[in-house]
Amino acid sequence: MVGISTLEKLKSIRRGDLTAVDHIEEKIDEIKDRDEGINSFLEINQDSIEKAKEIDRKIEKGDEVGKLAGLGIGIKSNINVKGLKATCASKTLENYTSTYNAVVIERIKQEDGIILGMNNMDEFACGASGETSYFGPTKNPAAAGKIPGGSSSGPAAAVASGLCDLALGSDTGGSIRNPASHCGIVGLKPTYGLVPREGLIDLSMSFDQIGPLSPDVEGAALLTEVIAGKNNTEGIMHDVKSVEYMDKINPDLEEMKIGISPKFRELTDSKIMEVIDDSIDFLEGEGAEIVNVDLPNLEKAMPTYYTILSVEFFSATRKFDGRKYGHKIEDVCGDEVLRRIVRGKHISQKEFKNQYYQRALQVRTLIKKELEKALNETDVLVGPTVPKLPHDIGEDITPSDMYAYDYLTTPANLGGLCGGVVPAGEKNGIPIGLQIQGSTLDEASVLRVMKKMEEKE
Amino acid sequence: MKIGFEIHEQMHTESKLFCECPTNYRDVDPNTNVCPVCTGMPGAKPSPPNKKAIESAIEIALMLDCDIVTQKPIHIQRKHYDYPDLPSGYQRTSLPIAENGELAGVRIREVHIEEDPGKYDPVQGKVDFNRSGIPLVEIITKPDIKSPEEAREFLQSLIRTLEYTNKIRPEPSTLRADTNISLEGGQRVEIKNINSVKGAFKALKYEVMRQKRTEKVERETRSYLESQMITVPMRSKEIADDYRYIPDPNLLPILINQKQVSEIKNNMYEAPHLRKKRIIEEYGIEENVAEVLVSEREFVDLFEEVAKEVDPNFASKWLKNRLRKVLNYLEMPPKQIPFSIEQLTKLLKMIKSEEITPEKGELILREMVKNPDDPEKILEKLGLEEMEKSKLERSVEEVINENEEAVEDFKNGKDEALNYLSGQVMKKTEGKADPREVMKLLKKLLEEQGE
Repeated sequence: MVGISTLEKLKSIRRGDLTAVDHIEEKIDEIKDRDEGINSFLEINQDSIEKAKEIDRKIEKGDEVGKLAGLGIGIKSNINVKGLKATCASKTLENYTSTYNAVVIERIKQEDGIILGMNNMDEFACGASGETSYFGPTKNPAAAGKIPGGSSSGPAAAVASGLCDLALGSDTGGSIRNPASHCGIVGLKPTYGLVPREGLIDLSMSFDQIGPLSPDVEGAALLTEVIAGKNNTEGIMHDVKSVEYMDKINPDLEEMKIGISPKFRELTDSKIMEVIDDSIDFLEGEGAEIVNVDLPNLEKAMPTYYTILSVEFFSATRKFDGRKYGHKIEDVCGDEVLRRIVRGKHISQKEFKNQYYQRALQVRTLIKKELEKALNETDVLVGPTVPKLPHDIGEDITPSDMYAYDYLTTPANLGGLCGGVVPAGEKNGIPIGLQIQGSTLDEASVLRVMKKMEEKE
Repeated sequence: MKIGFEIHEQMHTESKLFCECPTNYRDVDPNTNVCPVCTGMPGAKPSPPNKKAIESAIEIALMLDCDIVTQKPIHIQRKHYDYPDLPSGYQRTSLPIAENGELAGVRIREVHIEEDPGKYDPVQGKVDFNRSGIPLVEIITKPDIKSPEEAREFLQSLIRTLEYTNKIRPEPSTLRADTNISLEGGQRVEIKNINSVKGAFKALKYEVMRQKRTEKVERETRSYLESQMITVPMRSKEIADDYRYIPDPNLLPILINQKQVSEIKNNMYEAPHLRKKRIIEEYGIEENVAEVLVSEREFVDLFEEVAKEVDPNFASKWLKNRLRKVLNYLEMPPKQIPFSIEQLTKLLKMIKSEEITPEKGELILREMVKNPDDPEKILEKLGLEEMEKSKLERSVEEVINENEEAVEDFKNGKDEALNYLSGQVMKKTEGKADPREVMKLLKKLLEEQGE
């Protein structure tokens, strides 16, 4: 389904074997032909062919071209691309056309990446199934009838179906890793504060992180290199000017210490654990040392996460008061968005402050320390991504069952760590992704293990 | 009676608090000094707070004798409320950057940094976001004020102090104040929407009267209506029940260290009330003179410069009387004085040594303000050198001969007549004569006549 690798594609465009125009035209034609059944794109960028022409001219003239020259990139609809709609897949912003580019978009353009269009998503990134979009659910191209996961449902489905070369998603509690796992592709949530958030529409500001979805590990590494690095006009960022991964992801696991936790198994469906155990055996066979780590409070991550998220989301959505963007969010949003706003409004009240929000911040610190300790003893933590197999599209599940999908991905967001997902195998024809979590700014180790996993049958 | 204030003033910085937009919001068309950050566009992220604004607020707090909060994270909070001028639905406001100050006998509880909202025109239903994001300093007092009159005095003193720092915007009427007032036995009433010292005074006057006439004063928030000079209850819709403060997750807390405070302290101007005290002690000048000198920063700066070389007591009075008068007449603020300190010093020395008369000194000063130059040269240019005695005597004689009536009056005991005659001599000599000399001569010649 995926075809040639990202690096091969780049090479053939650079060599002139494949023109950027032909490549992008093909992608757009495919979106027009096939996306009706997938619903991964909400808008196509009409300027993409022009941009492709520019790149071809540069290549013809022998000029230097950027790292992403000619690749077609899908963008989750919560990232501002000037002139395109950043609707957050909500009626609230159905008429909002971006007036500026997110910093990550500027950086992609700088490296000659081509913005193909805006991808579908769960409304305001609230959801783990891809079903809460105002513009209809996204289908899973890798598992018919199943949800693609979310909230970066569109970017994941578009990459998995080959409608775009790479995509940008955002991960607040697993929104890149969850759909990557369900769609059988690669996703990376970089360390909090490594990639600029300027231009990313807020869900929960202290967790939100933009990251890549890609058919292969090198594509994810390459796109992260392009978008990562300090943006001086942003308040909370790591002091990292730029990152280099491509020369560090040699899949050599000698002397690599991989941590696993019994907590992962406790929380996860045994069918999924079979695939995960198989992967761990593979990594051990490739020379990694497997050690057990203690994560006593892991299951507290999810409720802690939802408490903090709800308060931050309530605050973030106050600007959608109906005065500037046409609709007041509470009047037009879906159930899950409303549920989070109402919860946030409730628990941020003065009288409850110490009871919920402050307490959640304390537990957050506790979990962060726990993860840091585990990662001090090891290089990476490896385990499942989603504790359950995806449900059928349209199946009625309770909010708490939906939240349970996030048990294993929210800890990395609470800790501000990095985490990647790579295909590990299948169960009943449904892809299962292996999650690799790394220390703050140690994307290189995560990518190394991910790269090794690509060798697994 | 207990009265307290919450005062907001715009600080004078080049750029806004959380973005690079310029702050000259009054000089430009509506909604032109704006960007995604200060209009709260979806996805926009604030820049770290403007360092200049933080420094200005520290300096203002030091002027108010506050303790600066150091070595402790000062979170920038989101204060949520719903109003058209607030682009994000919350206002960013810092936790106290300073505490426990005092000005004019009123204790200062806290000093904060805030961002200004936009400007909403309810008649047209339009918002101008040029003002949105301008840094504000918020000063909260304890309820130490005992009357509307005291409140007025306090606000005047506060404004003078703030102007002294040069850290607030120079345009008039950027003051915004909320006040709270409670009378013996009554509840505390808050009054919002006060925009001037006069407004505060009128609002409090009205409120005292209203509360005295009200049987049971309820705790409430009222709004001051400037046009009618009364206060009215605010609709509950206009008051947020709960601001749901949270630390802004997009911003690191402000951290002030002791070194930074010391640096600001060493480079800042002395507060007017402290400076007044000091110059009285240091130069031995009179209190009422010192009061006039410290009223403007550049004026007292000038005094301290000339006092290095000229008798301070003499200089202080001369500045207060003569220089102040000339500046007032020309409506010239002290910061626009064109002549140099050396020129002024020289002029004062010439007067002090009686090389020239104070009157001539003033004439020279008037010329110096228009065409700054060495006072000796001006003296020459204006032809003000001492008149020859014989020439003066001739003029006095002429005046006596020409004014028989006044001479008669003087001889009949009307002393005012002498002043009249002296004025005539000054006129005749085109102001070049020394009035004291003229008087002496007049008396002498008239007495001789009488004999």
